[in-house]
Amino acid sequence: MSKNKIIVVGGGLAGLMAVIKAAEAGVEVEAFSLVPFKRSHSLCAQGGINAALNTKGENDSIQQHFEDTIVGGDFLANQTPVKGLVEAAPGLIYAFDRMGVMFNRTPEGLIDLRLFGGVKNRRTAFAGATTGQQLLYALDEQVRKWIAKGKVKEYIGWEFLSAVVDDEGICRGIVAQDLNSMEIRAFRADAVILATGGAGMIYGKSTNSVICTGSAAGAVYRQGVPFANGEFVQFHPTAMPGDDKLRLMSEASRGEGGRIWTYKDGKPWYFLEEWYPAYGNLVPRDIASRAIYKVCVEMGLGIDGKNQVYLDLTHKDPEFLEVRLGGILEIYRNFYGEDPVKVPMKIFPAPHYFMGGIYVDWNHMTPIPGLFAAGECDYMYHGANRLGANSLLSAAYSGYICGPNAVKYIKGLQKSAEDISQKVFDRELNRQAGIFEAIYRMDGTENPYTIHEELGETMITHVGVVRYDKNLKLADEKIQELMERYKRINVNDTGRWANDVVPFVNQLWNMLELARVITLGALNRNESRGSHYKPEYPDRNDEEWLKTTKAYWTESGPRFEYEDVDISLLKPRARKYD
Amino acid sequence: MAEFIHLKIKRQNGPNESPRWEEFKVPYKPNMNVVSVLMEIRKNPVNAQGQKTTPVTWDCSCLEEVCGACTMIINGNVRQACSALIDKMPSQVITLEPLSKFPVIRDLKVDRSVLFEHLKKVKAWINIDGTFDLGPGPRVPEKERRWMYEISRCMTCGCCYEACPNFNARSSFIGPAPLAQVLRFNNHPTGAMDKEARLETIMGDGGITDCGNAQNCIEACPKKIPLTTAIAKLNRDTTLYSIGRWFNR
Amino acid sequence: MGFIKNYNFLIRKLHSLTGLIPIGVFLLEHLITNSFALGGPEAYNQRVEAFQNIPFLVWIEIIFIAIPLAFHTILGLYYVYLAQNNVLQYKYYRNYMFYLQRVTAIVTFVYVAYHAYTARIGRAFAGIEISYEFMNNILSQPLFFIIYFIGLLAAVFHFSNGLYTFAISWGITIGPKAQKTMQTICTILFIILTAIGTAGLIGLAA
Repeated sequence: MSKNKIIVVGGGLAGLMAVIKAAEAGVEVEAFSLVPFKRSHSLCAQGGINAALNTKGENDSIQQHFEDTIVGGDFLANQTPVKGLVEAAPGLIYAFDRMGVMFNRTPEGLIDLRLFGGVKNRRTAFAGATTGQQLLYALDEQVRKWIAKGKVKEYIGWEFLSAVVDDEGICRGIVAQDLNSMEIRAFRADAVILATGGAGMIYGKSTNSVICTGSAAGAVYRQGVPFANGEFVQFHPTAMPGDDKLRLMSEASRGEGGRIWTYKDGKPWYFLEEWYPAYGNLVPRDIASRAIYKVCVEMGLGIDGKNQVYLDLTHKDPEFLEVRLGGILEIYRNFYGEDPVKVPMKIFPAPHYFMGGIYVDWNHMTPIPGLFAAGECDYMYHGANRLGANSLLSAAYSGYICGPNAVKYIKGLQKSAEDISQKVFDRELNRQAGIFEAIYRMDGTENPYTIHEELGETMITHVGVVRYDKNLKLADEKIQELMERYKRINVNDTGRWANDVVPFVNQLWNMLELARVITLGALNRNESRGSHYKPEYPDRNDEEWLKTTKAYWTESGPRFEYEDVDISLLKPRARKYD
Repeated sequence: MAEFIHLKIKRQNGPNESPRWEEFKVPYKPNMNVVSVLMEIRKNPVNAQGQKTTPVTWDCSCLEEVCGACTMIINGNVRQACSALIDKMPSQVITLEPLSKFPVIRDLKVDRSVLFEHLKKVKAWINIDGTFDLGPGPRVPEKERRWMYEISRCMTCGCCYEACPNFNARSSFIGPAPLAQVLRFNNHPTGAMDKEARLETIMGDGGITDCGNAQNCIEACPKKIPLTTAIAKLNRDTTLYSIGRWFNR
Repeated sequence: MGFIKNYNFLIRKLHSLTGLIPIGVFLLEHLITNSFALGGPEAYNQRVEAFQNIPFLVWIEIIFIAIPLAFHTILGLYYVYLAQNNVLQYKYYRNYMFYLQRVTAIVTFVYVAYHAYTARIGRAFAGIEISYEFMNNILSQPLFFIIYFIGLLAAVFHFSNGLYTFAISWGITIGPKAQKTMQTICTILFIILTAIGTAGLIGLAA
């Protein structure tokens, strides 16, 4: 063995945590990211990060955090990994605290906690309403320290194209593209960690950043890694409707006392409080989204006849709001021009988070040895619905354990990536180069961005909050039509320098592939569980469907397998919030 | 509002190519912003003269003014394109230019890696021993936290650099943003342990004394980070530190 | 240049300090002395003579005025060169002040070079004593009066605004309110010094 090297793809919370943990273990790390780490999508997380610190005298406990997470996920999450997650949470928060994260404080200078959805105890640590930003910046700073020490090398503006898999089926590196020079290059590594985030762009407009295409996950799916639980896409109940993006208005706004309402018979109607008296406005996201959908779409009671209801903070003290929710108030003012302190915000559910993702074992390794996945791009911790403020936790935690797991894996390797024949790398490199040369030559009539727009419209209309078999079939037909039209794309730009279109065309195919995984996964799953709701099958069906969906890529579309869920710690029970 | 949005974009094919202006007319829709207009162009890359052209290259990511990626010069002033709402634009023609203080990559996309190099230079981090669980960090008074949080919201977008007359190709000035970070880390109980090293750095070539107090930074900062207060405070810190250092020799 | 880079902090601080002490102090003294001209030629000549009787005057002038002034000027011109002004783009009040500080630096430099040569250096070589009559010869010509007045405005502005930035550069005024107050004080100082200086010019021109 010459030297140990790990490649981490993705500069968000999970990726950077993995980089730090691997660097701490003395391994050489190369970190790839589309954008400077500081601009990764983790920074859009607002409300906070959960840990049962129990500093509010509410008898909160790790066990309670565990149960809330499992019940919130409608029992689809494997319970042993979730147990690990919630147990590590307090220690993680403290590590962030030591990195200097500016968590809001109690009068004693301790980390303050607030309330979030689907729980009854205050468990969410927060830094204003830009917690993700603050956590990401803290890790970015730590990674910069490692870069300054020469232990981590950064590749900014590089896109992951595929894993390099040798003849034994072991991952030995990656092929990536420099988005300025358009150079495609193979990199050797003993282990590769994908921390490439969610795929909100499949829905066109979502709360996600435009870089969240899910292309990397789609690429390894096409290389044989199963994509798990694709049909479980979280719709965040409170996002600003918009033409280019659906901007998130944190669940923290409800955690701090915000109320959802619309007019019924000329009077304010607090429908969540009426329907779910026990949790009120703080029901889990899938339930709140369905309720808002029902009120607007089925009952036609949206504000001004549009698909929107009020999220009201006007009864709260302005200074309190500024200190605890400043970040989202600013976004609403900047983009809508109204002040949420004075006027209720108008909101509607928006695609937000992929509970599903790359299939991994409990060490976060995919079925391809040496290829790991962590963060939103994996499927591990949230089952059928994620609780608010658990995503920053799962992102940080999965990176936290994935880094050391990858190091451990390397120690057991017979051969180093350095010992692998150059042919293996050239083969994958040439395959990718061939794909790109073909894209450069695309001179048909279709515009890739138009195809993407139509994909988004299809997904949001037919594979959204409420799903009907008929519509899911329509959606799949439409996606296949788009895949046909894809072949007639015109790239409009054949330049070999900082060409934005060509990489997008490549991403688009991966999005189309994953769109089918989501749609057909939803069509197959004849039950309602968490975020996946089919009025034709309104109940959860544990007998048949307490199973993880695993989609395998085939030439003719995804092939599905199902796997039992680990329910060793908490027996499934009815999920009730009323 | 007019039927079309009239754009004038300064384009450049590569770092060593010469820039040219290209005009576009994009059908108006309510609630558009500069990013969504650029997105319309790439769906139909035809310029105002009706000629086919290449889609405009630019950086963007979050579209909610948190990531800092889409910073460019819009109607002469530096700002984020995503929050530049068309309905609030006073002028008939909207001009878009790349940031002028950084090397152009292509069109509106520039190379801002120097910003991150400067953060590295000033050791803008807290030097923890490791990420393992050592229990909570030091207690921080909420009042202290609030202004440190203000500074830690800096998204390294480059607006303050762009507006600063003393940051340019001729000068080696480190720029306003990293200076504020020095103050933030020097005031954290653990960060203070590296205080001297940070002060020494900003007392070197291109350091804090190269600030000319034009105070454009605070005007240009989209997050209204108290940059000028931070710089003044650091002036006091470096002055006192340098006097102390001389007497302690 | 290596020296300038290595001792950047010290040199910049000295540059800032020399602007106030001794150059600023000398400017105040000079303007006040000149204002005695309002009291007539005798009052003025008396003051001037008092100065000329100071022992080792030439050495004092060289060490406390000429050298600091040369230091402040040469570096200052380099700092002017380093800035890339953008007032047309960013029309903020402080940005205009920053720009004017650099414009007045150059104007003051040209004016002082001329003024020091005609009123001190050249005269010293020629052996002519400074007096009311000497200055009156110059200032009674409208063109020269205007040149002197512009020089006065530039120098006084450069000093007053320099005082504002001095207070920041030395970490005296930190918060926005303190800086705002200093701004007001410096504006008033500018007006007062302009008045005193103009009084001197009028006195010498009469």
